Amino acid sequence: MAKTLQERRAERQLMIVLLPSLLLLLAFVIYPAIYSVYLSFTNEALTGAAARAPRFVGSRNYARLFNDAKFWNALFVTFVFVLGSAIIGQFVLGLVSALALRRRLMFRTLFSSIILLPNAAPEVVAGFMWISMLAGGDHATLSRIVSFFGLPTADWLQVFPLTMIIVVNTWRGIATAMILLTAGLSTIPQEIYEAARMDGATPSQMFRRITVPLMMPTILLYMLISTVSTIAVFGLVYALTRGGPGGATELISIYIYNQSFTAYQLGYGAAVAVIALLVSLVLGVAYVRAAKVEI
Amino acid sequence: MIHLNNVRKFYGALEVIKGVDVTVDDGEFAVFVGPSGCGKSTLLRMIAGLEGIDSGDLVLNGTRINDVPPDKRGIAMVFQSYALYPHMTVAENIGFSLSLKKVAPAEIRRQVEEVAEILQLRELLDRRPGALSGGQRQRVAIGRAIIKKPSLILFDEPLSNLDSALRVQMRAELQRLHRELSATVVYVTHDQVEAMTMADKIVVLNQGTVAQAGPPMDLYHRPDNEFVATFIGSPKMNVLPVSMTRDGADTVHLAGPLGMAFALADAGASLPDGAAKLGVRPEHLKVVAPDTAHFIAEVAIVERLGVETYLTVGSIDQPIVVRVEGDVIFRPGDRVPLAADPAACHIFSTDGRILRSANAA
Amino acid sequence: MSAAPPGESANRLRGDLMAYATLSLISIFCAIPFFWLLIASFDGNAQLFLRWPETWTFANYLRVFTKEDGAKWLFNSLFVVGSATVLVMVLSGLGGYALSRTRAWWKLPFLYSILLIRVLPSTALIVPLYKFLLTLNNAESALLRPIFGSATRDIMRWTGFIDGYLGLILVLATMQLPLSLWIMKTFFDGLPRDYEEAALMDGATMIQRIRRVLVPLALPGLAASGLFAFMSAWGDFLLPLILLSSPELQTLPLGLFRAFLRINEIDYGLLTALAFIYLVPAVVAFGFARRFLVQTFSGGVKG
Repeated sequence: MAKTLQERRAERQLMIVLLPSLLLLLAFVIYPAIYSVYLSFTNEALTGAAARAPRFVGSRNYARLFNDAKFWNALFVTFVFVLGSAIIGQFVLGLVSALALRRRLMFRTLFSSIILLPNAAPEVVAGFMWISMLAGGDHATLSRIVSFFGLPTADWLQVFPLTMIIVVNTWRGIATAMILLTAGLSTIPQEIYEAARMDGATPSQMFRRITVPLMMPTILLYMLISTVSTIAVFGLVYALTRGGPGGATELISIYIYNQSFTAYQLGYGAAVAVIALLVSLVLGVAYVRAAKVEI
Repeated sequence: MIHLNNVRKFYGALEVIKGVDVTVDDGEFAVFVGPSGCGKSTLLRMIAGLEGIDSGDLVLNGTRINDVPPDKRGIAMVFQSYALYPHMTVAENIGFSLSLKKVAPAEIRRQVEEVAEILQLRELLDRRPGALSGGQRQRVAIGRAIIKKPSLILFDEPLSNLDSALRVQMRAELQRLHRELSATVVYVTHDQVEAMTMADKIVVLNQGTVAQAGPPMDLYHRPDNEFVATFIGSPKMNVLPVSMTRDGADTVHLAGPLGMAFALADAGASLPDGAAKLGVRPEHLKVVAPDTAHFIAEVAIVERLGVETYLTVGSIDQPIVVRVEGDVIFRPGDRVPLAADPAACHIFSTDGRILRSANAA
Repeated sequence: MSAAPPGESANRLRGDLMAYATLSLISIFCAIPFFWLLIASFDGNAQLFLRWPETWTFANYLRVFTKEDGAKWLFNSLFVVGSATVLVMVLSGLGGYALSRTRAWWKLPFLYSILLIRVLPSTALIVPLYKFLLTLNNAESALLRPIFGSATRDIMRWTGFIDGYLGLILVLATMQLPLSLWIMKTFFDGLPRDYEEAALMDGATMIQRIRRVLVPLALPGLAASGLFAFMSAWGDFLLPLILLSSPELQTLPLGLFRAFLRINEIDYGLLTALAFIYLVPAVVAFGFARRFLVQTFSGGVKG
């Protein structure tokens, strides 16, 4: 397709406008990412013999990965974490909130503002608030709530660490689910529900046979976004548990951090990061495929 | 037979349906027509059961159905946007109401094919609504309605989403279907042409009340009020302020704008003296010889359509539209002598009530 | 009162009650953690656990500014995040426009790839980023030292890449670019070309078209991407942690972090007051951003 001189000049102008963004992204995002991949093939470290003279070691890091029990533990923990908080927790609570808020109720703005609040809190603040909720045995706020109902208390972060971080991440992410699902629900025209009413559908039939199928693209989009962003969660969990006790809450992101900054094994840490990226990519493609099939 | 008896509806303190009485007989094609906001769609939804009725009765085949849920009334509705389920095939759309009642799949299939045969949808049964044209989608919506074997089918402005060529075609289609199914239909539209061509009975609604109801030609020849007179018929009837003076026992003298003056036979002396409104349709004004003219006016706009020509005479505040048969050459600025056909003149009171209808049958 | 459609009244009442119940439960769940933050910040003798204060006081808030460097932290955070946000808005406004109007073949792969790269856990990118910035920093000081001599250190506080405002602002801005570019591109996609074409017919150059036609039209999109960028950068504490060391440059999250890592007794009153100060701008920004959230995601959901 030949372009006129005018068109080519216009394109060039657009490119110039885009250039600063491209440069910044190249320098601070793409380059570090590529360098990370390169790192994963070396034995770079911050201390020890390798710090002086890092060598290219091929896929040795990856081989080590497959035999590393802590790596597989991190994958497992991350999987459970994503499943519990993103796929189930946030989704169910977000969907329920979205559905409930569609009705003409009083205090709707108040409810939705409160539900969106956890997402607005910066990670560090959220971490502190939940430490107060969960740490300290009997004095922790959760303990006091639980004993109010006559149930036994515990040192929550020690005894149920994985469950707790799932709860906290769910708390943080209901907002995203609710917003996305509300947008999805609003794409279904009201008339369809009226037609279903004339056809004799009960509310539960309407939900199962109309709402859910028509919302599938949105639901899949939500699953994709939340899975990917949950895999990357770091600060919130680190502040609460540092990955412990005994690796019970060591997510992939925390494992990378520990490898890179505690054990100072940069090369190895980078290798784990690359695996995490690949997993996210695979999931991304899977979701996109599923979304296409739905249409 | 469906009967609305002094039906009222309020939105909060606002009364939107103000005591409506309508009867639609079995097999009749009734059209509810009126300008935006007149309440025609609200009335339709009240019949369907999607809106509540505040007072009055809705009676279907002898039973009062005010409190019966929509799916149990034996009424089906075709929505303005058709409201087809986008994720289901045509067959599934049509059969949806049956599948909700857990009818056996084989039976559903049989009934769906029966309906598809009537509506010529057999080849489209496995397609999704997104892959259908506007006219096809409408037929699917109709199929979804008639599979329920309803006593009454409601249509909510079904043709307004189609382009004009398709609209003409679909009008004929709908009339054919109506005859074939011998269905009772209540059809809502804002387009008076649709109403005139399709209806057995027209109900003209204005701000929540019935302005007039009856066969199309009744409304054309004998409107009860100025609103119906100007709503039915295109281009609109000319309504001119006139003053009347008695001239003997059976004649009344009219004087109107542009020096209009002529006599009207009034055998029963029913017309009062004083100010009134004259209603005369463009097709009942003729260009005549100057000595028999009622008034002479200067042409402002000429519209030539081949089969007919429309002249707009008079001023911007008081335009008068005249229809001339055939393609006759006029130019803006021409002075033409015009006369009104006395037998086709309607006289309205200043507040719009009919005082005397035209004689024409 | 208008009558409800038949069969609806009882159902609706029951449904509404259930809705109120579930929304209340979820809201309580969401709100509880904030109570401690709020109450303890006014507590004269605050503790880690939730308790009703014996003495109510503003002293904690005052201490943030007097005993600690609260003012400096607040200024640094506002300055750094604010500058980064402005930078992101400008770049994504221009870049989003370019991405929307260009017909380059690499447009879509480019967009997907930058979104995908952001998927990498931040901890993985930190080290290469640090090394790169260190190199840049050394190069810069090597350049400036011959010219400015001893004043270089002070200048580098502002223009340096490590332990300098410039570096942090640039990196924070870059981290927000992918999402902002995406938002602005989607926004411009939805804007008909009629306006630009009319301006073109009137003889406007591209700069004029952007400034006088597009910017006013793009304000909603810019506001949305600006607010998202602000909230995300405001909450980022990993980057300042790694890139800053001198006390004059510390931002709020770092101050908060350090307050929690005290060796001797932790001043919870101070901590919660500081956390609250840190929380407020984020919540305010979120309040404004709410309106845009649904619009942005609706666009994405439809196509």
